[in-house]
Amino acid sequence: MLYVVLFFLLFSLFLYVVLGGADYGAGIIELFSSKENQKITKKTIYRVMGPVWEANHIWIIIVIVILWIAFPNYYHVMVVYLHIPLTIMLLGVTLRGVAFVFRHYDAVIDNSQRLYDAMFKFSSLVTPIFLGMIYGALSSGKIIVTDDVSTLSFYEVFIMPWCNMFSLLIGLFFASLCAFLSSVLLIGESDEGVENIYIRKSAIAAIVVFVIGLITFIYGYSFDYVFVQGFMKSRYAIGILFVSSILILPLWRAIRKGHKVQSRVYAVAQVFLILCAAILAHFPNIIITTTTRMSILDTIAPDSVITALGISLIIGGTVILPGLFHLLVSFKMIKILNRNNTSL
Amino acid sequence: MENLDAARFQMAFTLIFHIIFACIGMVMPFFMVVSHYKWLKTKDPMYLTLTKSWQKGVAIFFVTGAVSGTALSFELGLLWPGFMKHAGPIIGMPFSLEGAAFFVEAIALGFYLYGWNKLPERFHWITGIIVGISGVSSGILVVAANGWMNAPSGFDYIDGQFLNVDPVAAMLNPAWGTQALHMVLAAFTATGFAVAGIHAYQVLKGRNIVLHKKAFHIAITFAAIAAILQPISGDLSAKDIAVRQPVKLAAMEAHYHTEKGAPLYIGGIVDADKGTVTNKIALPGMLSFLAFGDFDAEVKGLNDFPLDERPNVPIVHYAFQIMVGIGSILVLAGVLYFISRKRKKWADKKGYWLVFTLLAPFGFIALEAGWIVTEVGRQPWIIHKIMRTADAVTPMPGIVFSFYMYVAVYTLLAVAVTWLMIRQIKVLNQTTY
Repeated sequence: MLYVVLFFLLFSLFLYVVLGGADYGAGIIELFSSKENQKITKKTIYRVMGPVWEANHIWIIIVIVILWIAFPNYYHVMVVYLHIPLTIMLLGVTLRGVAFVFRHYDAVIDNSQRLYDAMFKFSSLVTPIFLGMIYGALSSGKIIVTDDVSTLSFYEVFIMPWCNMFSLLIGLFFASLCAFLSSVLLIGESDEGVENIYIRKSAIAAIVVFVIGLITFIYGYSFDYVFVQGFMKSRYAIGILFVSSILILPLWRAIRKGHKVQSRVYAVAQVFLILCAAILAHFPNIIITTTTRMSILDTIAPDSVITALGISLIIGGTVILPGLFHLLVSFKMIKILNRNNTSL
Repeated sequence: MENLDAARFQMAFTLIFHIIFACIGMVMPFFMVVSHYKWLKTKDPMYLTLTKSWQKGVAIFFVTGAVSGTALSFELGLLWPGFMKHAGPIIGMPFSLEGAAFFVEAIALGFYLYGWNKLPERFHWITGIIVGISGVSSGILVVAANGWMNAPSGFDYIDGQFLNVDPVAAMLNPAWGTQALHMVLAAFTATGFAVAGIHAYQVLKGRNIVLHKKAFHIAITFAAIAAILQPISGDLSAKDIAVRQPVKLAAMEAHYHTEKGAPLYIGGIVDADKGTVTNKIALPGMLSFLAFGDFDAEVKGLNDFPLDERPNVPIVHYAFQIMVGIGSILVLAGVLYFISRKRKKWADKKGYWLVFTLLAPFGFIALEAGWIVTEVGRQPWIIHKIMRTADAVTPMPGIVFSFYMYVAVYTLLAVAVTWLMIRQIKVLNQTTY
């Protein structure tokens, strides 16, 4: 049953990174667009994300709930030592969600739209950066786990582990990954004639992802960050990352030829592989502190809990996944397939 | 402000907000599908306008409820890591099922909101029903976790260790049934009176009267039935607490001295230091009767419990008085509504609509007061008789700043949502037929 739980944990994390990530990315694209293109993007985002965005963001709740039920010690370290970035991330999630609804459901369209738009765009950028920073803090070996926090300064225990260059780089990397995913998705969703905007954006985003990724590696390597060292030592991680980078070539061909479904599959596969590489580099030591590496397999809840959770997840999954699939199909895929048929 | 106090204030503050959004998100879908059903049956375009207007309300409240709920799922750990480390695995079952129910709700809502003219009529309507049912289910499941804090079960507590964990037994804890029933009825009462009150105000102001009367009747019917049933559920809860958490019952009643044939106090000013209650109306033997169904039964008083195991008596007592007082008013209002269905002349009078307008916030005030009773009444325990709230709080200092930030953000949110609702109603009133 432990593996069922682990599967759902990683599966939910992956779906959150892809679906939630594309969702954040849409806001980032809008932020970095000209005024004219912002309007087009806003309309497209609403059409694409409207029916599914709430569902997209529930995956993070599933991740958190699985963590606290099955891996309470992990959760404990996260919530105690990363209190501040988690709170900022939450603030971002809140403002972003609210702004999205306000700008699309407000009965009157007037100047307040500009405020909603600004809220939406900026929180779309800040939230994934902080999500990335949290991951960076967990894996960079800077968290100091202590029973008595009063012996150390507030800065050392609660700020330094996440507020550093390396974490910020990981945060920027994740945000650019979101923008990349989203721009590929939007190519297939945009109206005829404006696709070029998103093709251009996806090219820029791909370059940004690559550059930030490279800087992160160089920085991490030269300052001996344990995450990067581990990465370099793991043959699988390097290999997977290599495959992921190679995929840019077929992706680019698919975009040029207008194969919308194919291009998405490639983009999602790239993100999936990057995530796999990051997790594999240290698995099962997901949290690395200054003194120890916490293995996810060492600190699990009692068997009875894991069994009950596994069964709940299987039941939940059989109810939710077909429904979610149907939702995605009803409002998104059908439309794309139709358009492909007419345009081909 | 001490860290513990700041953390408690922040938790209370966010819960007070979340509960409003969550209740409306739970109950309004039912109003929406009734109106939708009437549109399908009668093809009266007013019902269509009303359904679409309510659906926007559902969407806005669902999202604000969802994001404040997401924030809460993190706050549990951020503020009370000591609690979550041990309790998380034990009460994980209802939370994971709640996650599933919530997911179903989000999916169904996606279908409902975007399914107009795209999905088959019947299927579309059914997705609305699923929104309501899954919303209420997630509410009931979350209450299971709260019930467990009041009636911890499903584990053996030996030498500070939680052993032999049984998550199913923890979910089916003895407090769950009565608490969940009380909460569901309260959600329907509070949301029903609030929605009905808003539409009653529009009737009072003479705006789009026919439409607002239709809306009023749908909402108030749910509210009146729930309000009339609530005292029965309240009685079940009181009898349950009398056995399981006698100190909470004693605090609710500001009952200091253990005695047989204990009187019930209505109102009264509590002096917690002296342990006295002045200016009250005392009904002899009634407390014994309400708690144990026997006028001579012995009811334990606060003085029988050590000082450091008592909650804040004045807060619990006053909150309880407010809840019961308003609850009684709402029962009367419910009965009044059903009589007015026979005596149709009443609805022609302005006073009728004024009464229901004024009642709009009362359900929610009672609901919040009720949660204050059960949450403050549980103190100083976060897990009744197992773990103190003070031992669960985060070691990170400076929570007070986090509290201020939440106050600022949530206040802004509340103002924004209210403002959006006013705009929603204004647009609704401009619709002509």
